[in-house]
Amino acid sequence: MMEKNGHILTVSSVTKTFDGVRALDDVSFSVRSGDIKALIGPNGAGKTTLLNAVSGLNPPTTGTVLFEGRDVVGLRTDQIASLGMSRTFQLIRLFTINNATVLDNVLLGAHMYLKPTLLGTVFLRRKIKGQEREATSKAMDLLKLVGLEKEAHALPGSLSFGNQRLLELARALMTDPKMLLLDEPASGLNDAEVEDFTRLLMTIKQQGVTILIVEHNMKLVMNIADDIIVLDFGKKLAEGSPSAICANPDVIAAYLGVQSKECGVRE
Amino acid sequence: MNALKRYWWLILLAAIAVYPIIGKPSPYRSGLLIFAGIYIILAVGLDLLMGYTGQISVGHAAFFAVGAYTSGILTAKYGFSPAAAMGVGVVFSATLAFLTGRPVLALKEYYLAMATLAFNEIVVTLIIGFEGLTGGASGLRDIPPFTIFGFSLLNHLHYYYFVWIVVVLVIASSIAVVRSPFGRALIAIHSDEQAARSFGVDCAKYKTRAYMLAAVYASIAGSLFAHYMGFIAPDDFGILTSINLLVMLFLGGIGTIFGPALGALFLKLLPEVTYQFQDYELLINGVILIVVLVFFPRGLFGILTALKNKIVPRTGK
Amino acid sequence: MSDISHLIQFLFSGITVGSVYALIAVSLVIVYKVSQLICFAQGEFFVFGALTMTTLVSKGVPVPLAFFLSIIIAMVLGALIQQVLIRPMKNASVGALIVMTIAISLALRGLALLIWGRESHVLPPFSQGEPIQVLGAALQLQILWIVGITAVVLFLIWFFFEKTPAGIAMRACAENPYGASLMGINTQKTTLFAWAWGSGIGALAGMAVAPMLFTQYTSGVMPMVKGFIAMSIGGLGSIIGSVIAGLLLGLVESYTIGLISSKFSDTIVFALLMAVLVFRPNGLFSRS
Repeated sequence: MMEKNGHILTVSSVTKTFDGVRALDDVSFSVRSGDIKALIGPNGAGKTTLLNAVSGLNPPTTGTVLFEGRDVVGLRTDQIASLGMSRTFQLIRLFTINNATVLDNVLLGAHMYLKPTLLGTVFLRRKIKGQEREATSKAMDLLKLVGLEKEAHALPGSLSFGNQRLLELARALMTDPKMLLLDEPASGLNDAEVEDFTRLLMTIKQQGVTILIVEHNMKLVMNIADDIIVLDFGKKLAEGSPSAICANPDVIAAYLGVQSKECGVRE
Repeated sequence: MNALKRYWWLILLAAIAVYPIIGKPSPYRSGLLIFAGIYIILAVGLDLLMGYTGQISVGHAAFFAVGAYTSGILTAKYGFSPAAAMGVGVVFSATLAFLTGRPVLALKEYYLAMATLAFNEIVVTLIIGFEGLTGGASGLRDIPPFTIFGFSLLNHLHYYYFVWIVVVLVIASSIAVVRSPFGRALIAIHSDEQAARSFGVDCAKYKTRAYMLAAVYASIAGSLFAHYMGFIAPDDFGILTSINLLVMLFLGGIGTIFGPALGALFLKLLPEVTYQFQDYELLINGVILIVVLVFFPRGLFGILTALKNKIVPRTGK
Repeated sequence: MSDISHLIQFLFSGITVGSVYALIAVSLVIVYKVSQLICFAQGEFFVFGALTMTTLVSKGVPVPLAFFLSIIIAMVLGALIQQVLIRPMKNASVGALIVMTIAISLALRGLALLIWGRESHVLPPFSQGEPIQVLGAALQLQILWIVGITAVVLFLIWFFFEKTPAGIAMRACAENPYGASLMGINTQKTTLFAWAWGSGIGALAGMAVAPMLFTQYTSGVMPMVKGFIAMSIGGLGSIIGSVIAGLLLGLVESYTIGLISSKFSDTIVFALLMAVLVFRPNGLFSRS
């Protein structure tokens, strides 16, 4: 692990241009290993674009992204995932065709460890059976963690919205990630669900996973974030501790205005 | 009743094995079932590619052609043993699929359909063009029958068993693939490529592998076809055949392995019922497919499954 | 015939088939722009147009009347198919839609087989007269008809889409169906018209070239495929691109058959298609 000063992720001068529009403009920040870093800002600020740039789905036009000291710009998404980055999506993207079950979705997370091949599938059946048993056991543990073990054989479409988000989380955890990118995982959850979710995130953090989370729910952000970065119109507006961000007048003007009462709410 | 639900495939196997003994079919009848079996192999392979990996191919007959002509040419003109020729055909098909797969499978939907259609046409026109080697438009004759360890499979019943053993192996291996981690990756690609990538799936690689597997099955089917017919012509391997395969897939129920097998069986045996209305056959095929697409999107297999679930209700989920 | 007359002869046949390909490609583009799907049944409208007109003429109907009647019948057929079969499948997967149009083409071909049998039919040329001699090459009068009809159709299309409110509405519908409906444009009617246009033009192509071909129930497959190729090369959504690509395709085909070999002309054409798809999927002429 070659991190830069204990930073697992360092984003430097990342710019993303679409048809002449700068969705991201010279954004630089880093995430300390083991932290939960929140990425906040108004809609359209470029938060999901930033996540996509980091994870490789839509690489930056210019700039570097150092993951564990290694520049991942230019690598394919699946290569970056293999390095230990995992994610959830703002618009839920579960596997639903061909009767894929909840369990199947989580099991897909084991793909990069199983590395299945055609020849192996046909000729190494015993080894594969063993691998499947292990993977299924781990998948069920994760489903237990998020509270979905009873739905293991259900179809993802039959889950409630909140549960679908939890399934995405379980799938992301299955890859044993070093860093988790979460895109508005609490949107659409009610207060009780958000509380459960907060506890879940803390458990994950305790296991050493670094988290970069995009969120609008300021109560959640204030409760769990070690550090916050604020984006507005594709530019970094501010970066710092939660209390510093809350006190920042630019941030309040651009985004927090209505939600400033959430600031200062810290367990 | 539960035993029936779990072991229906065993009963089916038994029926296939026992039919020639009880039914005592004529060479014509067993020929029908042999054709059905060959097309089942084609359809099941294509289902892996289309139904599970989600990649549309309107040119699958190209690999059918490669297998058939490789076997035909090597055995008829160069004295290869049929088994060796089949092996060469398989290698050739897999290589072709590997080489064309990467660029072609990167395309989406209509572009992919067009590219596979173009590939099919290229293969067929090349076959017609190099008539010295392939017999051109008039076809390739004098293809010897298949031999296993010197035993010549001339008898129609022997060939029936041979083909259907291959069919069972193809279906069994396809199911094994589909239910494995490899199959999971294919399904993920089908559902959402970008999401699959985010979890480490190298989509290009797995799409190409699925394409190669489908090509290998088609090649085997082609070899079986060549040795049964003794004579092959380019007409059997054109776009119309590829389109027929699509019909079998959707008619039977795409993405279920058994569905396309059923579709192939149905489409190959249907003419036996409609031959009296020979001129109506094309129209009937089209109408049946339209009806199935609109009212039974899960195809014949979907209808059967729904019926089965009514008779033997699922234990509540 | 001297070499020049050969070359000119190839030019004539190239323009002839090229115009047919262009027309079919244009009909495909119109449907694609509005419905986002490629109608694999287009070739059958080609056949229906030709055979309907042939039957009408053989029953004594005056040629101009038969001409317009056949177009109208094809347009009605296309509109019916869109209403009854395509509209309900709006949310189906691309694969299912492709297969649906394939199913429709099978049914239409089967219908053609029932109505007109397996024999070939020939339509008498639209005007009688000897071919015009051009430097030793023979220019059949029907070719003038084909080119003329193509030019008129293209002009009408241009005029319709650029100058008439209905046409502009159709373009708006194609670019942005939601926005168009917000502006009061009846997207359903527009789609219906687009399909009617598409089938009409496809039929027109079949009718125009019928006097030079033996048309039978399977005659639609290859023209349709070549029309696709032209559309793909020209750019899926581009009418001008399709026309240029169609003409080019016809010329390439004609000169390949004439100068290189007839055996591999199709191979070259399809290899060209594959190359365009892989390297320039937006077509040779589109703006991106």
